Amino acid sequence: MNTQALIEAAVAEVGKVLLGKEPQIRLALCCLIARGHLLIEDLPGMGKTTLSHALADVLGLSWKRVQFTSDLLPADILGVSVYNRNDASFTFHPGPIFTQLLLADEINRTTPRTQSALLEAMAESQVTVEGETRPLPQPFFVIATQNPIHQSGTYPLPESQLDRFLMRLELGYPHPHAEREMFQRRQVKGAERIAVEQRISNGQLELIREEVDRVHASDNLLDYLQRLVAYTRTAAEFAVGLSPRGALALLECARSWAVMQNRGHLVPEDLQMVLPAVASHRLVPSGDYAGDGMALVELMRRNVDVIRG
Amino acid sequence: MKPDQQIPRNALVWIIISLFTLVAPHAERLPLWVLGVYVFAACWRIMVYQGRWSFPGRWVKAGLIVSSFAGIYFSYGSLIGLEPTVALLLTAFALKLIELARRQDGYVLLFLGYFICITEFLFSQDLLIVLYSLLNVTLVTTGLVAMHRPGENQFNRKTIRLATVMLLQALPLMVVLFFLFPRIGPLWTVPIKSHTAKTGVSDFMKPGDISRLGKSDDVAFRAEFSGDIPDAADLYWRGLVFSVLEEGAWRSVRYYDIPAAERRPGPVETSGAPLTYRIIMEPTQQNWLYSLRYARATSPGVMAGSDHVLFSPTELEDERLYSVESWPDAVLDPTLSQWRREVELRLPQGENPETVAFARRLRAESGSDAAFVDAVLARFTREPFAYSLNPPLLPGRNPVDAFMFQSRTGFCEHYAAAFVVTMRAAGVPARVVAGYQGGEINPVNRTVIVHQFDAHAWAEVWLAGQGWVRIDPTAAVSPDRIEWGLERALAGEGSFLRDSPLSLLRYRGVAWVNMLRLRYDALTYRWQSWVNGFNREKQFQLLNDVFGGISARKFILVLIGSWVLILGPVAFGLLRRRERRATSPSDKYYLAFCDKLSRVGVTRAAGETPEQYSARAERAMRPMAEQIRQITRLYTALAYRPAAVADGRLNTLERELERSVRNFRPGRR
Repeated sequence: MNTQALIEAAVAEVGKVLLGKEPQIRLALCCLIARGHLLIEDLPGMGKTTLSHALADVLGLSWKRVQFTSDLLPADILGVSVYNRNDASFTFHPGPIFTQLLLADEINRTTPRTQSALLEAMAESQVTVEGETRPLPQPFFVIATQNPIHQSGTYPLPESQLDRFLMRLELGYPHPHAEREMFQRRQVKGAERIAVEQRISNGQLELIREEVDRVHASDNLLDYLQRLVAYTRTAAEFAVGLSPRGALALLECARSWAVMQNRGHLVPEDLQMVLPAVASHRLVPSGDYAGDGMALVELMRRNVDVIRG
Repeated sequence: MKPDQQIPRNALVWIIISLFTLVAPHAERLPLWVLGVYVFAACWRIMVYQGRWSFPGRWVKAGLIVSSFAGIYFSYGSLIGLEPTVALLLTAFALKLIELARRQDGYVLLFLGYFICITEFLFSQDLLIVLYSLLNVTLVTTGLVAMHRPGENQFNRKTIRLATVMLLQALPLMVVLFFLFPRIGPLWTVPIKSHTAKTGVSDFMKPGDISRLGKSDDVAFRAEFSGDIPDAADLYWRGLVFSVLEEGAWRSVRYYDIPAAERRPGPVETSGAPLTYRIIMEPTQQNWLYSLRYARATSPGVMAGSDHVLFSPTELEDERLYSVESWPDAVLDPTLSQWRREVELRLPQGENPETVAFARRLRAESGSDAAFVDAVLARFTREPFAYSLNPPLLPGRNPVDAFMFQSRTGFCEHYAAAFVVTMRAAGVPARVVAGYQGGEINPVNRTVIVHQFDAHAWAEVWLAGQGWVRIDPTAAVSPDRIEWGLERALAGEGSFLRDSPLSLLRYRGVAWVNMLRLRYDALTYRWQSWVNGFNREKQFQLLNDVFGGISARKFILVLIGSWVLILGPVAFGLLRRRERRATSPSDKYYLAFCDKLSRVGVTRAAGETPEQYSARAERAMRPMAEQIRQITRLYTALAYRPAAVADGRLNTLERELERSVRNFRPGRR
């Protein structure tokens, strides 16, 4: 089974539960293939959690879910050592983070203290509890969801933490057709949950990732990437441009996107496709610019010449 | 050595090439061993490049320097003078090659190359030499360009293309500087010409001098008449007047021997319209200028001597253009001063007794001086005198006697000298005039080309009431020489240009060769009169005419203005190119394709990828869809696919893209 067929099967499988959101599903898969953590941001009830569950299932990963609340403490995620009376010693009880896929629901409902407990885990794939560093299982993904920051009772994630997420997706309202189908399906099948089956095994995921590493980026394409990055650093609308890590993230996602298209080399479309998801949460508009991250991305896409500098 | 100090291989190859092209025009003047040094140095440097030899040590270098100096000294007999110094410079230039290790050495060598290119002009300013020097400048510039491309370790021809483009951009500037840049006279002069052979008629005449010139086909000067060209038989170009016979040689009267009152030419009455003409003389390293009698120069800087010849106060080191007006019928010196009469009658005591006796006898038989002249000429015609380029050698004592009564074979100088001696012996003032006679008329531009083989000597006799009268005894012996020129006169002897087998003049029987020769000569004339003749006076005149009076302020403004006018567009072009820096050829072709589409209204947006643009263009222009798709496919393959495909295939794709874009002609919608 070739890569593209695998991907198509996975997309179709997730599409069974999240109707009419194929682009977002593809981007989310792209993010996971690129070994990145995913942030899904939208209003409550848009299918954020559905998507993350489905992704975990389709990849056949062990997953745990943490509902972030304002009183959640770091230990609740990382785990605690409990005194065992039988052998008179402390035994480490691993927290929910010791899993392949962690669903961090409503991450911005919790305090910065707990948010940053995730930071090391996400960056280093390890946690340090009580002076002891413990590796996390591989692969390790975080799919976090959050409500838009203007909602009440939220602690917005700082830029440094946003930067750890390779992509940020917005789901948006479903298409009327998709919504209609959702209603109809509810009538037919009752309350019965649709099971999402594994389509990509761990081994296959590794193979796909090796393929990503082999994707060729030509000089022309890297020139374009650099022009994009340079634009964010020089144009007046940007308060903060893309960091080198941001630029690398863009390249990584574009590579995995290319693999998903069954292509061994990058084309400008790859960069443009992943650009909103990768760049929008990393860009900060300057004070006198009215638009948000998405508007900035649109500026980049429109104003940076694909062919020449 | 740091990599940025290294000389790229490409640059090295260009430097060696330009080294040889620079020395080539000097080759005929250089001793053979200097050319050997060039080959030796080039071989050494190539061996160094290949890592087999190393750069020379200090003592080797010192030895080479000393032996070069010694070699030049022994070859030329001196280290001073133009030719030895140039030879020394050229030798040093070659030797510099073997210590060419770092970039700064390369710069020294290349800048020296420009200088050496100029040294050729010290010897010749011929049109072909100028063109050749442009080639040299291009090659040296190519070396300079190659030095600045450190990555290029393959010899390639693209470098010369770039250098040529750069020089073409500089060309308008060169023209402006030619017209505007102040022609500053030399601040000092050194006798740089001491070792250059003086050419043409020399300032004294011994038997054999002019026949030596008769063997050369070099051009002496060219003349352009504003009206009709006089008959060849009347073209007696006067250069020098020889009044003094001393130790068997004729020479002019020295300036300081002339009484002060007579140093300036006496007044000459002229009537009627003069012949007006311009003469461009080749450099002779001598002072005198040629003209028809009686000549008055209309160019500044030309002076007239007491015997009505023109001369320049400075030696002719370059081509010289001057304008003259001539009245051939004017009477020169209707009266002779006492001093002048004595000079023009003086003969060395006791020499040529036979001739003296003969002259006195004949004069006594003739009724007048004029009749005596006719009688002597008649004798030349009657007796078996022969005209030859290779006359027998005459004895040191009494050469005129030997010539008149024994060998009777000679060249014009023999006849002129014998005639003047005869005249003087009989008390008729007479003198030898040296110059050129006749010339070849170039039908292409109606100029008279006077060659060295047209060199001639004749006589002037002073007759009461007529002043100085031109008498050409050669005409009496060989009328063909005057009517048809030297070639016809020597037809029987076959000695015309015998020693110059390659002279184009020998092949003038071949129509196209002759036409080519004459056309090139016309071009040379034009070049000389426009470019070489553009001196300070002309420049001043031109600036005056064009800008209506010239002041220092205006001059500088014009200079700056013209620079801005020329450099402005170049700068603009460079800025534009910087703006649209198409790095690879494929980008260039693709952008050309976009331009073409843009002209018909489908303009690529900045953020549009080739595929998106292609889709839009295909929709907009259905008939061309296939072509658009093809070009996009080629471009994206070139721009984004891995270069794993061999270079050969890359080139094929590139060429295909270029061709497709060239053939892509979207019509107006």
